[in-house]
Amino acid sequence: MAKSQGSSLLPQGADECVRRDGSARLPYVDLLAAVTRMHRQLPAISRGAQEAFAARNVTFGVPQDGVAPIFPFDPIPRVISANEWRTLHRGLSQRAMALNSFVSDCYGAQRALRDGVVPARLVYSSTGYLRDIVGVRPPRATWCHVAGIDVVRVQGTFCVLEDNVRVPSGVAYALEARRAMEKVAPDWFASNAVRRIDEYTTRLRRILQRIAPRPWEAAIALLTPGSYNAAYYEHKLLAEEMGATLVEGNDLIVSEDEVYRRDAEGGIHRVDVIYSRVNSDWLDPLVFRSESMLGAPGIIEAWRRGNVAIANAPGTGVADDKAIYPYVPAMIRYYLGEEPLIRNVPTFDLSDHVQRDHVVTHLDRMVLKPVDASGGYDIHFGRLSSSAERAELIARIDLAPRQWLAQEEVELSRAVCLRSDGGLEPRAVDLRPFVLLDERPWISPGGLTRVAANPKTLVVNSSQGGGSKDTWVLSR
Amino acid sequence: MGTESLTYAVWHHTTLRYTDSVALSFNEVRMRPRDRGSQSTLAFSLLTNPAAVPRSRIDYFGNYVHRVDVTTPHDVLEFVVEAVVENSEPRRRRLPHWSDEVLAADPRLEYVLPSPRVPLAEATRSLWQEWNGNDRSFDAVLATAERIPKELRYVSGATTVESSIDDLLAGGAGVCQDFTHLFLAMVRGAGWPARYVSGYLGPTGDRTVIEGQSHAWAEVCGADGRWVGLDPTHGGFTGAHHLRLAAGRDYRDVAPHRGLFYGRADGARPDVLVRIRRMSNQQMETVQRGAAVHWQQQQQQQEEA
Repeated sequence: MAKSQGSSLLPQGADECVRRDGSARLPYVDLLAAVTRMHRQLPAISRGAQEAFAARNVTFGVPQDGVAPIFPFDPIPRVISANEWRTLHRGLSQRAMALNSFVSDCYGAQRALRDGVVPARLVYSSTGYLRDIVGVRPPRATWCHVAGIDVVRVQGTFCVLEDNVRVPSGVAYALEARRAMEKVAPDWFASNAVRRIDEYTTRLRRILQRIAPRPWEAAIALLTPGSYNAAYYEHKLLAEEMGATLVEGNDLIVSEDEVYRRDAEGGIHRVDVIYSRVNSDWLDPLVFRSESMLGAPGIIEAWRRGNVAIANAPGTGVADDKAIYPYVPAMIRYYLGEEPLIRNVPTFDLSDHVQRDHVVTHLDRMVLKPVDASGGYDIHFGRLSSSAERAELIARIDLAPRQWLAQEEVELSRAVCLRSDGGLEPRAVDLRPFVLLDERPWISPGGLTRVAANPKTLVVNSSQGGGSKDTWVLSR
Repeated sequence: MGTESLTYAVWHHTTLRYTDSVALSFNEVRMRPRDRGSQSTLAFSLLTNPAAVPRSRIDYFGNYVHRVDVTTPHDVLEFVVEAVVENSEPRRRRLPHWSDEVLAADPRLEYVLPSPRVPLAEATRSLWQEWNGNDRSFDAVLATAERIPKELRYVSGATTVESSIDDLLAGGAGVCQDFTHLFLAMVRGAGWPARYVSGYLGPTGDRTVIEGQSHAWAEVCGADGRWVGLDPTHGGFTGAHHLRLAAGRDYRDVAPHRGLFYGRADGARPDVLVRIRRMSNQQMETVQRGAAVHWQQQQQQQEEA
């Protein structure tokens, strides 16, 4: 039995994989049996995976001296049972649909604001609320074509930590992780019924094609901020696998409200769909940030007139604002008439006096984040702050309460990870499933599991040195 | 003054001189009067040099926006607006104050919240307190509009188009844009939705022509949904000679020109000339018969010659 062999090797506190009594959790039984049986080979498997990434040049991060770092990776997969996934799938679908309805509403009738479901104050003061696009109806009323919804497991139950509906990244790393693992540990797949994830790019392409003004000959361009973007590798991979052209802002020309791209030979080709990996306020320097070199002037007018489709649609940032997050469960009830299936982490609105005072008195239980940042920057754990740091933090919050969000600190589940010396240790993990939204949501089984850089840290963001794992959803 | 309507011929000339040549420029201009209440625009034309075909849309705040793309090389870009605008004295009504609960779910909440150029700071809040105490009624709003020009000096050139409310309070002098931003910050702080209006000031009294710059004032909204114009530069309600161009949260939303250019130039210097002329009944009849507005300008040039 795996139990008797594993208990000595498996680390304490890896509650994602191991029960309190030291035995493997049900979906992990086969995998951890294999891991403990061949734990001496794990460093070789890990090296093999790293080599596979290096061979395919899978990088994440800003290039230093012209070379971008290889994405850090842990070889022991994260496993989700068929049952767990069924619940997650329903909860995530619901959430993505509600977020999409909310964006649509914000740029339309604003029913939810008039009915007091989401405070109008938060929408009107959101940097994600783009006034220039109010009144636009994008094709099929879809705004959030791709959503990356970060979930964490807290005491056995999944809850949502944040919603990413601007330009969620990471899917390519999940695809590459699977590719590498199938190569370096084929036996593990033989003994587990792991659901395939390679359908993702086909699905994404289909969605992009369907929103094109000329779906029968949709020319798709993937707009990247450029090779200095941390996720540039992903942009290249997705473009390649979808048969899209990888473009930067200065490759695009807008003429008479139609979008064209210039190729290397100087040829001009029409663009029907832009899969944009550039934040929408950088898309069009004429409408938004005039200093932007990442987009092209006139794109927004072309989109407004329906001559080009953009995914995700400009303006989705209003649903991505962390100050809006506490109201997502209310949105689900309001737009779908359903009870939310995945709950939020308890969150506090700091511009409300009562909630602010609660946060300040219970600061040691709180995590404070800026509302419109990503990448895990400027996050503060009350528990870990000195009294001087706390005082400074409170002063910063009181100066700009709308800019901050407080969440109760939650204990993230910890998965078994390989240490560099060959031993095993528990590290915090989260999960970013990718939801593709067309008429109904489609979710790639699993998603990107991110791992904290060491057993102590609770921030699992890839920009903070964390790594990833292959994520398995079992089919039975 | 009665409710008799007055008609004005507007001539608004903007010249952008680039520091060097420009290959391509994209421009958005908000120069077409947006009528409300007593105001109506009888004729309007926008010409550009180099010639381009402007295309228009209406923005979030209800203003006309013309998009002008110039694709031929240029180092000067001119916009010439000619318009005939009729207006009569707006009613000077007192407005009821909003309840916080109603305003919280109303789209006009947009105009109570701080905006990029109108932050709600302690300085403006305490100034309201100093002038009005705890009175947040419409009388206090009106008193504030009347008091601003008495407390602060109007000095053209004292501030720039980028100056903040703090700059105005520190220097004690500014122009209509600064006075309007200050007024907006004060009345928003007291819970009144208020917006920035850009426009022109027509001649009053015996004068028939006025030359100069464009003007700015504010509109305040009451719980009954009605907006009233208040001019914190002249102190009091707006009149028939306040000709409305565009409205928004602050100057940023209504800037008459914003644009982008590609070329050797690294900047542009704008020159703006505005001439407003009160038209006689006879001239009005000509307009109403359908004659072009520039006829009016030709007449005027002949008179001046």
